[in-house]
Amino acid sequence: MSASGRILTGIGVSPGVVIGPALVLEWNIPDVPNRVVARDQVEGEVARLHAAVAEVRGHLDGLRHRAERRIGAEEAKIFDAQILMLEDQEFLAGVIRLIRDNQLSAERAFEFKALEMRALWARSTSVRLRERVVDLTAVQLRVLNYLLGKPMALDVAREGPDPVVVFMRELTPGLTVQFDRDTIAGFVSEEGTRTSHAAILAHSLGIPCVMGLVGALPRVRSGTRVILDGSTGRVILDPRPEEISGTQAGERRRQAFEHEIERGIAQPAVTRDGVRVELLGNVDLPEELEAAAIHGAEGVGLLRTEFLVLGRSEMPSEDEQAAYFTRVGARFPGRPVMIRSYDLGGDKFPGPLRPPPEANPFLGWRALRVCLDRPDIFRGQIRAILRARATADVRLLLPLVTQLEEVRQTKELVAEALADLIREGRPAARELPLGVMIETPAAVVLVDALAAECDFLSVGSNDLTQYTLVVDRGNARLASRFNAIHPAVVRMLQTIAEAGRRAGKPTSVCGEMASDPLAAFLLLGLGYRVLSASPTSLPLMRWLIRRLDATGAAAAAAAAVQGTTERAVREALEQGIATYVDLRSLEGERLPPGLRETSFTA
Amino acid sequence: MNELGLHARPAAEFVKVASRFQAEIALGRDEMVVNGKSVLGVMTLAAECGAELVLRAEGKDAEAAIGALEALVRNRFHE
Repeated sequence: MSASGRILTGIGVSPGVVIGPALVLEWNIPDVPNRVVARDQVEGEVARLHAAVAEVRGHLDGLRHRAERRIGAEEAKIFDAQILMLEDQEFLAGVIRLIRDNQLSAERAFEFKALEMRALWARSTSVRLRERVVDLTAVQLRVLNYLLGKPMALDVAREGPDPVVVFMRELTPGLTVQFDRDTIAGFVSEEGTRTSHAAILAHSLGIPCVMGLVGALPRVRSGTRVILDGSTGRVILDPRPEEISGTQAGERRRQAFEHEIERGIAQPAVTRDGVRVELLGNVDLPEELEAAAIHGAEGVGLLRTEFLVLGRSEMPSEDEQAAYFTRVGARFPGRPVMIRSYDLGGDKFPGPLRPPPEANPFLGWRALRVCLDRPDIFRGQIRAILRARATADVRLLLPLVTQLEEVRQTKELVAEALADLIREGRPAARELPLGVMIETPAAVVLVDALAAECDFLSVGSNDLTQYTLVVDRGNARLASRFNAIHPAVVRMLQTIAEAGRRAGKPTSVCGEMASDPLAAFLLLGLGYRVLSASPTSLPLMRWLIRRLDATGAAAAAAAAVQGTTERAVREALEQGIATYVDLRSLEGERLPPGLRETSFTA
Repeated sequence: MNELGLHARPAAEFVKVASRFQAEIALGRDEMVVNGKSVLGVMTLAAECGAELVLRAEGKDAEAAIGALEALVRNRFHE
């Protein structure tokens, strides 16, 4: 972070500009005064303790309920664990003993016992147990704050009429579930990056967010007015009047443009010369389904399944997966949902199954390779998709394919799963469309053979760019070198589009590339008619496509493909698109960070 | 009991089942013994993978308790 007094700069992870009062949420355990009570007040302290436990219990129940409704039953279980800790009879008996034997106040006794527990856990050789201290802290904070008559500081309580800009050291599950546009205008954290779970969630909910603002908390007090710019990562404390008016004017322009874009949601994405483009949403988390639907997604072009596994101690059951896939399908009736098989690898594994660390995880044992080596895992996912397909148009999409054999092996597993389900008499589809992601140079070279073997193709532009240019897109030093409009990538995109056409297989692009206006223009020109991107990007893409002309795009793309330098490609496209839109007018609009795919490949 | 300690969740499930019984349930490892109905205790004890744990129940429904907890450990934690 660079700081010059009032202006702090972190990493903008979710675009949008807001002005509002700061709300600082501290996770510091409050100071508990050393208080001893009179003999005849001892039972009163025990009663206070019980009241505190009951109050916190009610509070946790509420959060649990909210988590279940907003995020999912699995996430809600975090609060189950906290409730059990809170009501641990052994622990409470210890606290009560301390009150009675030593005439301690309820808060003093509780703190003493909690310290004992924390010390025990902190000494543990188990990293995972030490990590659970965060749950213990959450419980401890709530109980102590209640006993000390303080608000339960972990929660967002709006004090004035305006939604608040929340400042926190780090995002916690308890806060995640309270993400609510009515209460929270923006979010600032000292820790976290573009790839953290919270950043993705904020982006998909459309809440402006800046992370990595190290040292921000001591500089800001609750109630201080702040301007937060989630695109540039800039946070201004106590803004001057001209800064506020400037921001407000910019915000009005942005909103007017956004309204124009939003108005187009109900209209189909058709170019001026009548070419229909299908716009689908990429969905990482269940929470994003609503966003996808609201922003006019005509289905899900990429349903990631890793969230089902992250932070778990075991693989999710087939039933749990089938229920989720059915739910997604039901949200988009009659529309396709491409379910990407588990992209497991590295730390994206339930703890006990985690393989040893690899020197090059991007070149390692991940994605389809893991699924094929662990048919016990893959089978459950395939069966779940087949079962969901009984009621919805869900399809299977294979990531990181480099060999034709991988597709054939998958087909065998699908055939086996199908036979099993029929034998068991379970409702399930009788066939399953299979798609191959073209996201490695190997797959591009073999694209004709792969197209012949599958039902549809989907270009994973993020990985394709990364593997072709040998640039890690998570590496900030290489950021300027990560460019999907590199001539090598552009020519690959042309090869893939042509192969899809020749084989008569639908071919889509499901990377963030599609949400960049210039790249979308290129893809349209190369003949792609299905684009999938993060839900919040869709309105802008629709707005853009309705202004473009497919014939003009094709001419510009043909010129771009001839380019041998990035600059030549860019110039050809910029020249072509200038006829239809002024790209400069889109600067700083709701363009996504463009790095979202790294969320699960760190 | 290879992953009882990995996560709060398996410990929580263990305690939930244990609490359904009247019997006193103790869980031991090496020299340490904790109350099987205390989630904090169970988490502390069962923190390490592959640790050998001893389960003991005392009371009217002790046998049923042992059966249920054994089944839980076998089904849930040894997948």
